[in-house]
Amino acid sequence: MNSNSMFTFGASLLMLAGSFVSANTLTNIAVFPPEVNIQTNRGMQRVLVQASFDDGITEDVTSKAKITISDPKVAKLENGIVRPVSDGKCTIDVSYEGKTTKIPLDVKQAQADRPISFKLDVMPIFMRTGCNQGGCHGAARGKDGFRLSLFGFDPDGDHYRLTRELNGRRINLAIPEESLLVEKGAGKVPHTGGQKFAVGDQYFNEIIRWLDAGAPVDSASIATPLSIDVYPNKVVMNGKGSTQQIVVRAKYSDGSERDVTSLSLFMSNNDSSAKISPDGLVTAGDRGEAFIMARFHTFTVGSQFIVLPKDLKFNFPQSQEKNYIDTLVNAKLKNLRITPSEVCSDEAFLRRVYVDLNGILPTVEEFQKFMANKAPNKREQLVEELLAKKEFAEMWVLKWAELLQIRSSNDVSYKSTLLYYNWLQDRIARNVPFNQWVQELLGASGGTFKNPATNYYQNERDILKVTENVAQVFMGMRIQCAQCHNHPFDRWTMDDYYGFAAFFCQIGRKGTDDPRELTVFNSGNGEVRHPVGNRVMAPKFLGGSTADVAGKDRRQVMANWLASPENPYFATNLSNIVWAHFFGIGIINEVDDVRVSNPASNQELLNEMGKKFTEYNYDFKKLVRDICNSNTYQRSTKANESNDSDLKNFSHAYIRRIKAETFLDCISQVTETKNKFPGLPLGARAVQIADGQVSNYFLTTFGRATRESVCSCEVKLEPTLSQSLHLLNGDATTQRINQGNLVGRLLKEKKAPEEILNEIYIRCLSRLPSADEKKKVLALVTAETDKKRALDDAFWAVLNTREFMFNH
Amino acid sequence: MNNSISRFLLAFVGFAGITLSLTAASPNLGSVLPRGAQRGTEVEVTFTGARLEDAKELLFYKKGIETTKLTPVNANQFKATLKVEPNADLGEYGVRVRTATGISELRTFYVGALPVIQEKEPNSEFSTPQKIDMNVTVHGVVSNEDADYFLVEAKKGQRISAEVEGMRLGTTVFDPFVAIINMKRFELNSRDDAPMTLQDCFASIVAPEDGTYVILVRESAYGGNGNCYYRLHVGNFPRPTGVYPTGGQAGQELEVTFLGDPAGSFKQKIKLPTVADPDYRVFAQDAGGICPSGIKFSISNHPNAFEVEPNDTPATANAVAFPAAFNGVIEKVGDVDCFKFHGVKGAFDVRCIARKQGSPLDPIMTLSLAGAGNVASNDDSGGPDSYFRVNLDDKDYLLTISDHLKKGGPDYTYRVEFTPVQGSTFVQIPKVAQYSQERQVISVPKGNRFATLMTVQRRDLAGDLKLIAENLPAGISMHVDPILNGIDSMAVVFEASPQANIGGNLAEIKALPADTNVPCKTEFHTNAELTFGNPGQSIYWRFNMSKLGIAVTEESPYSIEVIEPKAPLVQNGSVKIKVVAKRKEGFKGAINVIPVYNAPGIGTVSSITIPENQNEGFFTMNANGNAQARKWKTSLLANAATPGGTVWVSSQLFSIEIAPPFVAAKLERVAVEQGKSGEIVCKLTNNTPFEGDGKIELVGLPPKVVVKSMDFKNDTKEVVFKVEVDPASPIGNHKNIVCAATVHKSGEEVAHTLGRTEIRIDPPAAPKVTANAPMQNATEKPATPNAPEKRLSRLEKLRLEQEEREKSQKTEPKK
Repeated sequence: MNSNSMFTFGASLLMLAGSFVSANTLTNIAVFPPEVNIQTNRGMQRVLVQASFDDGITEDVTSKAKITISDPKVAKLENGIVRPVSDGKCTIDVSYEGKTTKIPLDVKQAQADRPISFKLDVMPIFMRTGCNQGGCHGAARGKDGFRLSLFGFDPDGDHYRLTRELNGRRINLAIPEESLLVEKGAGKVPHTGGQKFAVGDQYFNEIIRWLDAGAPVDSASIATPLSIDVYPNKVVMNGKGSTQQIVVRAKYSDGSERDVTSLSLFMSNNDSSAKISPDGLVTAGDRGEAFIMARFHTFTVGSQFIVLPKDLKFNFPQSQEKNYIDTLVNAKLKNLRITPSEVCSDEAFLRRVYVDLNGILPTVEEFQKFMANKAPNKREQLVEELLAKKEFAEMWVLKWAELLQIRSSNDVSYKSTLLYYNWLQDRIARNVPFNQWVQELLGASGGTFKNPATNYYQNERDILKVTENVAQVFMGMRIQCAQCHNHPFDRWTMDDYYGFAAFFCQIGRKGTDDPRELTVFNSGNGEVRHPVGNRVMAPKFLGGSTADVAGKDRRQVMANWLASPENPYFATNLSNIVWAHFFGIGIINEVDDVRVSNPASNQELLNEMGKKFTEYNYDFKKLVRDICNSNTYQRSTKANESNDSDLKNFSHAYIRRIKAETFLDCISQVTETKNKFPGLPLGARAVQIADGQVSNYFLTTFGRATRESVCSCEVKLEPTLSQSLHLLNGDATTQRINQGNLVGRLLKEKKAPEEILNEIYIRCLSRLPSADEKKKVLALVTAETDKKRALDDAFWAVLNTREFMFNH
Repeated sequence: MNNSISRFLLAFVGFAGITLSLTAASPNLGSVLPRGAQRGTEVEVTFTGARLEDAKELLFYKKGIETTKLTPVNANQFKATLKVEPNADLGEYGVRVRTATGISELRTFYVGALPVIQEKEPNSEFSTPQKIDMNVTVHGVVSNEDADYFLVEAKKGQRISAEVEGMRLGTTVFDPFVAIINMKRFELNSRDDAPMTLQDCFASIVAPEDGTYVILVRESAYGGNGNCYYRLHVGNFPRPTGVYPTGGQAGQELEVTFLGDPAGSFKQKIKLPTVADPDYRVFAQDAGGICPSGIKFSISNHPNAFEVEPNDTPATANAVAFPAAFNGVIEKVGDVDCFKFHGVKGAFDVRCIARKQGSPLDPIMTLSLAGAGNVASNDDSGGPDSYFRVNLDDKDYLLTISDHLKKGGPDYTYRVEFTPVQGSTFVQIPKVAQYSQERQVISVPKGNRFATLMTVQRRDLAGDLKLIAENLPAGISMHVDPILNGIDSMAVVFEASPQANIGGNLAEIKALPADTNVPCKTEFHTNAELTFGNPGQSIYWRFNMSKLGIAVTEESPYSIEVIEPKAPLVQNGSVKIKVVAKRKEGFKGAINVIPVYNAPGIGTVSSITIPENQNEGFFTMNANGNAQARKWKTSLLANAATPGGTVWVSSQLFSIEIAPPFVAAKLERVAVEQGKSGEIVCKLTNNTPFEGDGKIELVGLPPKVVVKSMDFKNDTKEVVFKVEVDPASPIGNHKNIVCAATVHKSGEEVAHTLGRTEIRIDPPAAPKVTANAPMQNATEKPATPNAPEKRLSRLEKLRLEQEEREKSQKTEPKK
């Protein structure tokens, strides 16, 4: 796959432009599932054959391949589906274009009939046919008088409502076909939801079988699904129109396996590239990447699909890989056949890294010093310099102050807020390892003044909200859905939710000497109960095991697990937050929306960063250094033909609007004016505002986080009309230019208009004006007798450029 | 605690012939500046407020300060020269201004040991500090985001202590921060809050080398304003963070150890007063000086017992001879102190005193029977401190103390006191307005009266009480009903004789059992809430007082009197009380009259106004059915605007008798068709004879319904109201028609509310089918001669109608 080194960037573009007839060769065939286990006479399994070619393309060759069962007495094959004949073991043999492979086949209880089960056979139909969706009977108040639990979180309740509510009128055990349930579903009587299945189809038959059996409730020992597998899990499709069937297999607690393709719900996160039919047939569309998900029971599992133009020829250009980040990003780009952009200019890098690392712009002197530096590693030198500055810490204190909702309110005094902010600042400035201060924060006890970390539990006092916030901020999980029902697009169940909430139900709070202060302590009592069944939930780590909390502060037990390598999400989530700061989007985007159905754009990269972060002993400065020194970070914003549409694989730098606080600081810096914020001395920078409550018109307009929630969406980076109008007409530009009197000062220093123009450009844009820009502006200045006014106007115009407003 | 009153202006007291224009109302006191002085000096202090031109004296709540001169500046300000005795107590002094016409709010003034200098700006930057001598008190102010830097010189090994009085000054919510910084800008010691000084702070170091040091004072969250005054004491004085033990036996001489001083712990001998004093403090003192703040020190009747480590488990518990006061320190993280003792039978209040005396400890106290289960356990019933009540037995007990957060430290001191349960009373004047000191003192114009509501809380005590006032100013008498068992509020009238001299005093108010053999502790309490703020108007500093300020003031231009009603106020009845105002010549203004106190079940109008130039008003009082039938006393307060402000006086304490109703009534309801008339029968029962004829009427009638009132006598058993309904009267069921009766007793009206009835107005009925036969039958019924015609009830009429209908239907087929 590697391209020749002689190919330059331009050459690879040429290559991309052309389309050649495929001359790829088959390298391998694979059969899915990798083994077939069938139980009972109702067992069956669809098999798939996938061919892989040397250029990475895969093809569904199930219909073209020759599939035979080695012992026909054990099983038979009908339309690609294996069905049992008698108990025994043999193999399924597959051959295609000279390649052969075989998989084991095991048939058990071939003569036995599997008894009908409400949970295993009927409930999945409600999910698959959409009966228990939020828009239908899964709504909190049901639909048209009939309610099912949303996505089936309460099967016992659903059984009750079907068989007992309305005196059981929904079912007719004497004539099952005339049950309201069946007639509505089959569209035989008017049904708002329309026809969901047809008379005689699989779903119809299963429901009738259940009714025939007397609509039994399942025994407590009924098997439960443990996991599902989706096959094939990686597909590279060759051109629009090519197809690939998906197979879903579930494994159960009794060791059995079932083909649940017909009972699974399918979704694609990118329909324009890969669309999936209700039966699991994926059809390729435009070039791109899609994540195909299958949902069955509480599981959502995905499979990666890459769609390429038909018979695309591609050579990846030689690209220097500075570290693991470049290696892993490039690997993904190669898969996608995307050519990355070139490394950006020194000017662009200088401005970008100053804004990203320190939240300020380079001064004229700093610009000149960097440009004059001839050292080959001058970029690394600059990164080191900026990492050591206190402004670096302040940027991250701001970031974490947003996530920790450091904000005064009627309940939280400004003093408390300030102490909390100072506590955080101290931890970040001293480069205390992340895991340490997170553990300190989440396990904190004491007064909110004496131990400001306890403010975390003063700001939010609701057990469930605290639970959700911890999961969202430190693990990137939005588990809110699971408060009321199993998460529809993720693995989280209500058991997970309330098990995690049980860590936060023993937080005691009491007053102390100062009315503004609150003492947070481990009360040692209180439990969380599951809303369905009201059982006490044992504390269970989110996505982990049950915790031993006997005699311990539950929060400390949770904190010690959360901020440790045992928690698979902590390091990757923090790495993702750090990454998103430098690229504008996370590897998982949004950074606090980690879920199965929102996969990482580069899971390998995320895993590696998490691993490195752990190895670095949670010193995030090292992670930042890795990022800033990578070519991936240093790429130009200028896209090429192949990466123009790429917005999530980091093939080029993305243009990002500068965050409100930083932008105001930059304006203050370039205009040499001072800000006054309540509770801070004159001249303080906006990033230093401790209290989320404090804002001003500029910051609000440019989307400063109010810190009312932990959501990453609090910081708004979308450009708006009012922002432009404010820059054009508001006090952020004209008044500041006048107030700072930069041009006046420079004129007084006897600088020529050209020098002054250069200085304005360097200050604001970290570059010299282009010849064209210079010519046009100087012409205007020359024409004007009031030089100051003309140059002030030029300064104003530069402040109003998009180039100034964005980091690029 | 005896009040000290400067009476240097008593010469003015005899000044008679007060004209109206001179009359002023109670003064307002806003600020006292500077906020303190050095003891042993004489200083001029400015008092600012309103209506202060006739200031006569300063009433201090503690002795030690004498007023030597009062100089009026203008209507709102005067200057006082204060002489602070050399041995005056350090710390806070409550003070009120008494003018010729009243007593002001309470404000505070501080006494320190060091000479006072003024803070001078610019000192807001580290590089421009104000140079000060060691051992001074700086009187300063922190404006918004201000930081004040001071430069002192010290020799190596010398102690540098800095303590700020900020919040304690009670001026405004001001939470100071102090730091001692070396010239390299390293903070050597700093503090924001401390359990001992709450929001106030102190820092103390031993100078590591000869040189200069900077002391920084600022608001802890960079706030501040023009009212954020502070007194910064800078000196070589000791500044311990605790003392051990934290209490001793009354009258005892003992050695205490001051803990946490940077120069190390040190011992000091102290002699305790012989009488328990809740405000007693010990002051750390050595060659470097005296600490500006004392540490609260408990005085009890029992000897001290001390913990000896190790005593972390029941097995290693320290044995103590009971009764004793248990003293200990939770020295390190996780420390637990156990004591064992043999109890004596009786009920005890058990208090673990820690935070109350400035210890960082948040105690959890548990008492258990040795080898058995818990008897009692508590965390925070005494504020952050622990409290419970137990009945001890003649058994072995285990007492355990630990910190709630399992913290500990060398100054985590505590003391557990067992106090036998004894009856007590607690007297207060409820606040008339939140956060206000309004009407919390008594100003009685000469020859006039002033009334207030007082409440008595009984603790472990039952039976009748009597209210006693001691140390009232000459010429003032207090009038109050005996406080019967079950009564906890009463109107109290203070009356000044016309001859009383103008003057003021701090009086003691006691509520003691009528039976003098019953032991009882009594306490009067009032407080001045000096500073409050967020969250939820929390009180940050208050001054507690156990004495009541009372003054005789200049004559009021008016007085009021209640003509005590002779007739009773009946349950479910009302009475109009006549209030008579006496005006001095020239005073014409309107007078508002408000109640002082209403007994349970009694209601009144909220106020009445005796209009300008008039001298009479009627104050309506009513009683509900549950009001207890008894005699009780109350008073009415009056206020009137005078050119000098609002002047308050009260009526005398007058009696009201609540009695059962004289008459009871039972009312029927009626249904009447539009344009017809009906009857409401009202059966009367007479319980108490009245004089002459009574009048009974229905009020609240629907429109165009006429019911005439009727007279009745003591022996009237029944009255029948004739209800005339107009064709246009509104159809419907009209409820809430009240039957009111007025009878006379002792020549006065006694108003009753006897009950309610309903009038249903129906549309005119369709013409009835007349059934002759049944009617004939009815007339054929043998009638008892001479018997009064039986009046049918509504139900009976309906039954009759129904019967008639049925009969007519039965007869119809025959036709």
